[in-house]
Amino acid sequence: MIELLEVKSLSVHAGDQCLLEPLSCTLTAARPLTILGQTGAGKSLLAQAIMGLLPQTLRVEGEVRLNGRSLLTLPMQERRALWGRVLAMLPQEPWHALDPVMRSRRQVSEVHQFVLGLEQEAADQQAELDLQHLGLADALEKIPSQLSGGMAQRVAFVAATAAGGSLLLADEPTKGLDYGRRDQVVQLLQRQLTQGALLTITHDIDVARQLGGDLIVMRRGQVMEQGEAEALLADPQSEYTRELLAADPSCWTAPKQSPQVMEPLIRVEGLSQQRGGKMLFEGLSFELCPHQITGIVGDSGCGKSTLGDLLLGNLQPQAGRVTYQRPFARHQLLKLYQDPPAAFAPGVPLQQLLKDLVRLHDLDASRIPALLERLHLNPQLLTRCSHEVSGGELQRIALLRALLMRPVLLFADEPTSRLDPMTGQQIIELLVEVARDYACAVVLVSHDPVLVDKTCHQIIRL
Amino acid sequence: MIQRILINRLLQAVMVAWGVGSLSFVLMRSLPGDMAYRVAAGRYGQDNVSAEAAEWVRQELALDLPAWQAYLHWLLDMLRLDLGVSLISGAPVIDEIKHQLGHSIELAVMAILLAALMAFPLGILSGLRARGWLDRSLLLLSSLLRAQPVFVIGLMLILAFAVYWPLFPVAGFGQGNDWVLPAFSLALALAAVSSRVVRDSTLAVIHSPYYQFARVKGLSEWQTFRQHGLRNLSVPVVAFMGIQLVGLIEGIVMIESLFSWPGIGHGLAHAIFSRDVPMIQGTALMMGLLFVALNTLVDLACYKIDPRGRPE
Amino acid sequence: MKPFLAWIPGLSRSQWLGAAILMALILFALLEGWLHQGDSTRQNLSNYLAAPSAQEWFGTDHFGRSMLARMGDALRLSLMLSLFCVATAALLGTGLGVCAAWMGGITERLLNFLANTLLALPGLVLVLLLAAIAPGSFLVLYLAISLVLWIEYYRVVRAQTQVVIRSPQLEASRQLGFGRWYLFRRHIWPAIRPSVLTLAAFGAGNAILALASIGFVYVGLQPPVAELGLMVVELLPYYNDAPWALAQPILAIFLLILGFNLLAGKAK
Repeated sequence: MIELLEVKSLSVHAGDQCLLEPLSCTLTAARPLTILGQTGAGKSLLAQAIMGLLPQTLRVEGEVRLNGRSLLTLPMQERRALWGRVLAMLPQEPWHALDPVMRSRRQVSEVHQFVLGLEQEAADQQAELDLQHLGLADALEKIPSQLSGGMAQRVAFVAATAAGGSLLLADEPTKGLDYGRRDQVVQLLQRQLTQGALLTITHDIDVARQLGGDLIVMRRGQVMEQGEAEALLADPQSEYTRELLAADPSCWTAPKQSPQVMEPLIRVEGLSQQRGGKMLFEGLSFELCPHQITGIVGDSGCGKSTLGDLLLGNLQPQAGRVTYQRPFARHQLLKLYQDPPAAFAPGVPLQQLLKDLVRLHDLDASRIPALLERLHLNPQLLTRCSHEVSGGELQRIALLRALLMRPVLLFADEPTSRLDPMTGQQIIELLVEVARDYACAVVLVSHDPVLVDKTCHQIIRL
Repeated sequence: MIQRILINRLLQAVMVAWGVGSLSFVLMRSLPGDMAYRVAAGRYGQDNVSAEAAEWVRQELALDLPAWQAYLHWLLDMLRLDLGVSLISGAPVIDEIKHQLGHSIELAVMAILLAALMAFPLGILSGLRARGWLDRSLLLLSSLLRAQPVFVIGLMLILAFAVYWPLFPVAGFGQGNDWVLPAFSLALALAAVSSRVVRDSTLAVIHSPYYQFARVKGLSEWQTFRQHGLRNLSVPVVAFMGIQLVGLIEGIVMIESLFSWPGIGHGLAHAIFSRDVPMIQGTALMMGLLFVALNTLVDLACYKIDPRGRPE
Repeated sequence: MKPFLAWIPGLSRSQWLGAAILMALILFALLEGWLHQGDSTRQNLSNYLAAPSAQEWFGTDHFGRSMLARMGDALRLSLMLSLFCVATAALLGTGLGVCAAWMGGITERLLNFLANTLLALPGLVLVLLLAAIAPGSFLVLYLAISLVLWIEYYRVVRAQTQVVIRSPQLEASRQLGFGRWYLFRRHIWPAIRPSVLTLAAFGAGNAILALASIGFVYVGLQPPVAELGLMVVELLPYYNDAPWALAQPILAIFLLILGFNLLAGKAK
């Protein structure tokens, strides 16, 4: 095996602070190397340090060798000469990495023209071939805002590798992509492997598992564990990796309890809705009963939130009916949001917001301490404002606020997608407990079919 | 899409005409004295006004009609571009403003060109070296210029380049280099703002992920700037030009008055001062239409350089 | 836009500088009115264009009028006008902007139509036309400038309120049963407050600029009123004999606008 890239105790510092602790790894042809860690784990710094893209305020120590040549000591000019030609880098968010006012074809052909020295016409033809090769014939004349997320990712892939770089660094290539699109990207990366080497940085355990090869698990700039991917994932040694794996819905073991049969609170019959001439869903019928968790799955833009508005009574159905067991007050049909800080008034202590609510509905404020304990919340948190509390805590406070109202329906719209997996798991567990202990129907919206499968009593696919 | 831009701006032109027409009508009615006599005096000279001539004017301009009918007449006349005659000079308004409009457009175009020539290079340089010495000194200069009304800028230029060093004429029109000082005054006021817009836009573009990605694809710094920098940084600058046009038009009124430049702005200020209602209407109308026309050009330029928002 | 121009701890260094300049000008205007009690219209043709002296600190103008008294008058006039205009425009524009975003439908379309109609004419041209109806009237100038200024508030506030109204935070509170006043106080006002205050500072500068501009083209307030733009044009012929006199109103306009621009912070 030829050794391509060798990283020896590489670390990144900002002043006295160490952002990335010493890390060593070797990247060889045809064997993928994956770095797994949550956002803020400092893993993106590694790719930037290898490329030479770190801002000057950060200090790099250690050594990076490319085929024996030390990179960190090279002058910037020579490092830039490697970009595209030897080292290719797939951007994090392809939508933002593509020039917003340039057509896809040109974004690829300029590489052929300026880097490889082709005439403009020949470069255009080559770009067309490259893009067609990945099924992007339709995208040639489109600008990024007209591309879907998956298409943008493929255009970025073609553009990044057009100059012939054989060593691909992919930084969070699946961020923000739906489940189906994610697998396409993994296939794309595997295809690259046949021509060179691949370093992938991801937060997604499934991506790491599918890619195989070597795996490094990181947490807050520290390497937790390093080894062969399959073995490591099957038998993790560090506590952190174990927790991380356990938080993945596919590993959840808690058994589902079937709720006792009760009269449905909300009945949905033949519900249809279209938006912008496109049918979102048609002839939807189901019932929501107390203590029952209903899962709604589907890719983004499939009308999950619209269904929520219909159930919450904020939208009149275009066809079909939503009937309630008895006329519920609006504040008994409540929602949990994807982004917890976005659901609270900013700059006001949380206890003030709760006090406002208690006064408005003449609620029993003495229930708050019990609920705090039930949701494992420190009462001190309520003295802070929403942006001073972590996402997981705030989501639990949102749950508390909802439970204070004795809700009939709790519509949880992707309540964990912005949280790290461990925190997300806690929230889901709490939701399950809420459904068990309170006589309300819980609807859980998610893009993750596995999670819904593991927790819900009935599942609606859009 | 282009049609929508044009229709929107055409509607705006209609609104301008209606607004100016209505205000002028109110102005006309609120003038002291007998309107017919004033018009007749304007037409035939102060000495030749007779009751007969005034009666004739009254008939022609429908001055004895009830207000609402007179208002409709007034607007219809304007639609036919029959803007009447100046109460002061007695010449048809349309002839006077035709000349003035040409001079004002000349001044506006020169000012925009000069402003672009200053704002783009300086803005880009300070954006590329943000917080460097050039950026800081230009920020100071721009803040100082922005705190001046444009007529003070003009005044300073006159004192410096016409009085102290007599390189250019103090005011007036007719020599070859007469446009330099008025156009520069307007251009400095424009560039003081737009150079900062160019600078901020440059800074945003060169730190954008797509700019970074273009480098990573293998393009050199210059290729990256030419391919991805220029066009992207122009988008907000051109869009902002639409906002600056208000300042440009206002500047034209000031600067033409200061330099006695025989344009629409000077005409407007003069007409208001002498309460020459037909001239007020004519010049304000042209001023408004010039504003709409420049806005249309900005819209079209935006459409040309930014493909987003166009139908596929 | 720089957030929280609001209360003292949030001010940046340049905002402090702006505030200091304005405080000095206000102090001058107040003290001059209180202590000096000069007459800005009393002529003394035997002592025209006198240089600053112990008697006349700021010198005299071409009619021998006290420049100190005239500058005090002019500053009070400009500051007063900008205060009235900004207060009116802010109240009107913010109120209507929130209304339009909230009600939507016909209300919003009507208000948009009104705003777009007013925007079709450059602000100064509109002010000039209105000023022509009643020459020299402070009231008309105040109304005309406010009429131009409110649109900026309306547009910004409407756009920002729309964002808040569609946001989960407001949706959540509404679902919980809170009324409109609460939604405004807790959600909308905190979101628009920084912009409203920034616009207020810019608007004050613009009002002063507009007043000086129409004074300069001689169609605003009429002599013998002491007004900064009018003073510039009156003293212009004497730039050689009395540069200090011409410099005074120019410097005052400059400092006023600079002060408000600095206080406003960095615009978008």
